[in-house]
Amino acid sequence: MSAALQAERITKRFGGVTALSEVSLELLPGEVHGLIGPNGSGKTTLLNLLSGYYRPDQGRILLGSEDLSRRPVQERPRLGVARTFQKPRLLPSLSVLENAMIGGWRDTRSGFVASALALAGARREDRALRTRSIDLLQGVGLGHVIDRRANLLEHAEQRFLEIARGLTGRPRFILLDEPAGGLTSTEIGHLGTVIRIMRDCGIGVLLVEHHTDFVFRICDRVTTLDLGRMIRHGTPAEVRADPEVIRVYLGA
Amino acid sequence: MKHPLAFAAAAAALATLPFWAGDQYQLHLAALIGAYWILIAGLNLVVGFSGQLSVGHVGLLAIGAYGFAIVAGTHGVDPWIALAASGALGALCGFLLGLPSLRLPGFYFAMATLAFALIVTELVLALDGLTGGGLGLSVPTFPEPFDTPAGNYWLILAVASLVTLLTWNVARLMWGRGLICVRDSVVTAQAVGIPVLHAKLAAFVFSGLTAGLGGALFAVIQSYITPDTFLFELGMFFFVCIIIGGRGSILGPFLGTVVLTALPELSAPLAKLGNFFYGLLLLLVVLLLPEGIGRLFQIAMERLRPRRIESMPIAPHPQRLTDAIKAGQR
Repeated sequence: MSAALQAERITKRFGGVTALSEVSLELLPGEVHGLIGPNGSGKTTLLNLLSGYYRPDQGRILLGSEDLSRRPVQERPRLGVARTFQKPRLLPSLSVLENAMIGGWRDTRSGFVASALALAGARREDRALRTRSIDLLQGVGLGHVIDRRANLLEHAEQRFLEIARGLTGRPRFILLDEPAGGLTSTEIGHLGTVIRIMRDCGIGVLLVEHHTDFVFRICDRVTTLDLGRMIRHGTPAEVRADPEVIRVYLGA
Repeated sequence: MKHPLAFAAAAAALATLPFWAGDQYQLHLAALIGAYWILIAGLNLVVGFSGQLSVGHVGLLAIGAYGFAIVAGTHGVDPWIALAASGALGALCGFLLGLPSLRLPGFYFAMATLAFALIVTELVLALDGLTGGGLGLSVPTFPEPFDTPAGNYWLILAVASLVTLLTWNVARLMWGRGLICVRDSVVTAQAVGIPVLHAKLAAFVFSGLTAGLGGALFAVIQSYITPDTFLFELGMFFFVCIIIGGRGSILGPFLGTVVLTALPELSAPLAKLGNFFYGLLLLLVVLLLPEGIGRLFQIAMERLRPRRIESMPIAPHPQRLTDAIKAGQR
């Protein structure tokens, strides 16, 4: 049994507003965990806490028994936690390949000087990262746009590139912020394929998503938030049948 | 290297320039461009790659120039050691300036570098025992065979080539992408684990080193330096060369440096207009070619060999993806 990524009774306030109140969530390796709820329920806030952009006011973020609550966001990749963004944050002037390579920064051990001198180690790291990125890009289905500038990508390609960039960092956990937003149903099918493969490889996938059909279809467990409180977590079937979840989110 | 033939031809042309240059003045101009470029190549990593808007590198140039003139001239130390010392002094000053100021957001960082350039000028005037104050200092030359205009040019060409090679290495390996990531999206940089301040500081210290070296070589070309040699406009000029050349490129800012240095000198009407010419060119580039003149070549290449942007559906390869992920977990 390997370590889980956990939010433990997290409270987060912004000024006078309590965005999250005593929320707990456990993301296991090799599971797809859905996080759903109405707009403003605190989903993205929780994701930002797990990925280190925010610090909790109360409660802890744990990776196994290690407390990550105060660890800066830059350390998450080395700890094996990757994320994507609701609005893709790519580097527009770089190629698809270079955007994917950026995700593997944790494996850049060479310093600035070693890079400037193009020492053997720096070149070797670069080659390894290039090869890994090409493999991952072909795997997620972006092999045909590898040399294209990222600002020329279509929306779905940007979303898949964000996932490839996350995977280049060899994560144990990947946090996906509304990855299905703006995708066609075929593309959502492909996204499902990619997510299942990540899970089958032992990666814990957190899926923040509005597309509830997709969430219930693909997730092993689902957590529902409303107004910063956790109202239900369980299997998709349990959550979907919960009267409170239906009332605040799914509708009759 | 995408165009090895063009590169070889350019390298040969630069190496043989003293033999085909029209007159001594053109050779002098080429050496001046080289000294500027040594500074601008390093500054390019700061401005063009990491996106930090330094307008005060003329201060670091002055430090390198006065450092060389004082160490080699006043104290009579070997010029080669003085050259290395100028580089080291530039790097040290870059570190001392960058460490506090690179935490500041864009506009305030630019103001800090501006203030630095003004302070250096005032210090040069105040420390007249060391710098000669308003009267200035004469600068020794390098020993034979580098004491002739051609020899000096070749020395500058060698240093400029070395500096360009170093920046090219940074640009093509992970640190170059890391700097561009810091420029375009700090949020992404944090998400993938790039140490943002460290990366900015590394580029800035490197730019201090090249500014120090460029300053020493610039001083030798001038043969006599005064505070008026290092006006604030020169710092703006370095900055503008990069913006006109295009961010995230090396060739673009190099062309920018050549064009902006040479054109006003070679054409008398343009020289009369001086700053007006810079201003007009900057305006045209920012409005019409925001990615710089380097982009013109890319566009021309794409016109010549158009690549169709066809839309193909995304289709994951499950086995490849599994293999690729598992390879990373081993």
